[in-house]
Amino acid sequence: MASRALWAQRLLPYLYIGPALTVACVFSFVSMGISMWVSLHDFDAFAGASEFVGFDNYHRALYSDDSYFWLAMRHTAVYVVLSVCGTLLTALPLALLCLRAKVGQALFRTLYFLPSITPGVVLALVFYHIFGNYGQLLDNSWTALPALSLLGVWAGAGYNMVIFLAGLTEIPQLLYDAAVVDGANRWQQFRHITLPMLRNTLVFVTVMTIIGSFQVFTSVYIMTSGGPERSTEVIAYSIFVNAFAVAGQMGYASALAWLLFAVIFVFVFLQMRVFRSRRIYD
Amino acid sequence: MAILPVARLKLLAGILLALFLVGGIVARAGLTRRWVVGLGLEQTRGVELRVWDWWSASTNEEYGDYFAAIEAEFEARNPDIDIVYQVVPFGNYVQKLSTAMVGDTPPDVFQSSVYWAEGFHHRGMLRPLNDLLDADPAVPGTPSYVGESAYLPSAWRHNHTQGRGGKPPVVYGIPQIIDASCLLWNLDILQAAAVEDEEIRALFQRRDDDGAEGDIDWTRIRWDAIESWDHFRRLTRKLTVRDEEGEITQAGFVLSSSSGAGLFSPWLAANGGRFQDAAGTRSMFASPNGIETVEFIARLYWVDRVCPPFRRQMTDSELFKERHAAVVAAGTWSGKDITRDTMGWTHFGKTAFPPGPSGDGPSTVTWGNMLVITQRCENVDAAWRYVKFVGGLEGSLLRSLHLGYNGPRFDFYATERWQQALRQRPYLSNVKQICLAGDKLRHTEIIAVDHQANPIVESVLLHYPEIIDGQGPYPSVEVAMKTAAANVDNVYRRYNEQVESWLALREQARD
Repeated sequence: MASRALWAQRLLPYLYIGPALTVACVFSFVSMGISMWVSLHDFDAFAGASEFVGFDNYHRALYSDDSYFWLAMRHTAVYVVLSVCGTLLTALPLALLCLRAKVGQALFRTLYFLPSITPGVVLALVFYHIFGNYGQLLDNSWTALPALSLLGVWAGAGYNMVIFLAGLTEIPQLLYDAAVVDGANRWQQFRHITLPMLRNTLVFVTVMTIIGSFQVFTSVYIMTSGGPERSTEVIAYSIFVNAFAVAGQMGYASALAWLLFAVIFVFVFLQMRVFRSRRIYD
Repeated sequence: MAILPVARLKLLAGILLALFLVGGIVARAGLTRRWVVGLGLEQTRGVELRVWDWWSASTNEEYGDYFAAIEAEFEARNPDIDIVYQVVPFGNYVQKLSTAMVGDTPPDVFQSSVYWAEGFHHRGMLRPLNDLLDADPAVPGTPSYVGESAYLPSAWRHNHTQGRGGKPPVVYGIPQIIDASCLLWNLDILQAAAVEDEEIRALFQRRDDDGAEGDIDWTRIRWDAIESWDHFRRLTRKLTVRDEEGEITQAGFVLSSSSGAGLFSPWLAANGGRFQDAAGTRSMFASPNGIETVEFIARLYWVDRVCPPFRRQMTDSELFKERHAAVVAAGTWSGKDITRDTMGWTHFGKTAFPPGPSGDGPSTVTWGNMLVITQRCENVDAAWRYVKFVGGLEGSLLRSLHLGYNGPRFDFYATERWQQALRQRPYLSNVKQICLAGDKLRHTEIIAVDHQANPIVESVLLHYPEIIDGQGPYPSVEVAMKTAAANVDNVYRRYNEQVESWLALREQARD
């Protein structure tokens, strides 16, 4: 009897997570498996047939003369760096300012959060005309990519600010009180209390920004189509073009998608290891 | 805690409102159709014909009127057929179709852009129409005939294969519309300039053959009025107006650097060149004609300085609609949109592209959309009746009436409806000649080709002076064009290998 109860106790959690796990399996893991299978084949959905080509698609992406993989990766990396720096330099200060606002904090929080709930297509169209009317940033190969990352930073600043705000409110006030007693100025408080205590939040925001930035697509698709002169061709756009604009290249596009996954995985893995290896406080 | 009566009423009202909204959505989505049919409240029809289109009443209510008219007319004559329209956005067409094919739920009939039609045929998605055309009782010269002789050659050439190796061409679509690239002229600007300029005055049509001064028809420009590239250059220079600081306030011409191959193709056709060979196996634009064409376009911008600065955010049609440009390159279909967006302005006209130094005469590139029947269509007879109706004269007339489109058929241009359209919209007057003069737009893989060619053509246009000085991203225009051609050839090579593999797979499946 006791053992049956024990089994029930052990099984129950799996029953609870069962439905969500099933959905995740079907729509994520099975899809990923299919995508991996497609990347190893010369596949076309219309023809409904395929031919096994091994790692040819990967080889073509990495070594072929007419591959834009490395160009797209370079652009994506620049976009990621600009976006991560931009996000950290805007979202955190915004959160600090919001926290200090005695009046209208909820209003500011809502206003800054608004871009996060606005469809990306709408934001892209608005900024398309803003950049066109002020500075013509999208007309120049040197400024187009930074302009896109500016939009990315602006669109994500509110969301990340809310996360930082949640992290900031978790920091015990008594630490600051003690620091004041010890004569610490504002910068020292920020450097030695706020930043270390926000470590987990910083990791989360940075990881999510990196993942999101690696996948940037909407703004490129709407605002530049990879131009001018291919200067904003990023990897997600390259995957889309190959998957849906070129007949029979779904396998190649899937290979590009897996290469992107590998790059993101390595980045995030390294980052998690680096941050996990240092214990800031207990 | 007991619920107060007012709160209970609010709750009840909320539930009723929610039910009403959900019921409305369900009914509107057609999910109640089976119940209604089951109750005998609606007359049942034997065949349900699923038709896909990207024309949508949500983008323009005139499309709604058009489909309602087609549905009413067609179903009245074919009481056994129930047409079910499904709108699929243009940008998602290929994805949705591939999903439908994999899910075994493709439409019976759909409108196909020239962008995809031949590719769909290569993949075995489309039902060949040769047997249906052969068995069709309609006689050539009658409104319901949908064979080759009924259509402008420029409309018919996009809907069939070349018929290589002794095999007859396979027809896979019936033309629905015909479009061409053209030069769009602001006749207000031309008329003002014509007061003191005989050369500009000569661009307009005359009301009769006498050619008296007073007989100029200011509403119509001649379709072949521009005699050469030099003539075009001269005119656009005259029509460019600058302010005191030298800024262009009225552009002689507008160039969009990002248009790349799209802008380049009609000028190339007018210079006696072709973008690719007829079979689509290799590019041909890196020829002397092609290099001459790119240099001509670049020089309009950099040497003649008749264009405002390149701007991705301001399309050439936007500048034209704001009446700040004398001429732009556009599609023959664009007139209606310009009239709509400018609250009724119709004083513009269309010409073909003037012949270049190596060209034979005015030319352009044309394309046409068509109705196709999917290979898995189960009601071919119903689908063919629908295709014939829409592709026949009546369909053309309904499109003219509701959508303002010109038609792909010869007999359409002899109807009173067309004459009426010309009186209402004189800018349509040259459309037929322009379409007849055009060459075929590259047939398939357009987006893939553009993806390879556009950035390089764009580089040439943006850095032309540096390239000429040997300081640009390419050592010469010729090298740039050959690089673009090599990239495009790679697309064609891969595509043709793909087609071969599809054919082999189909052969295997048949065996």
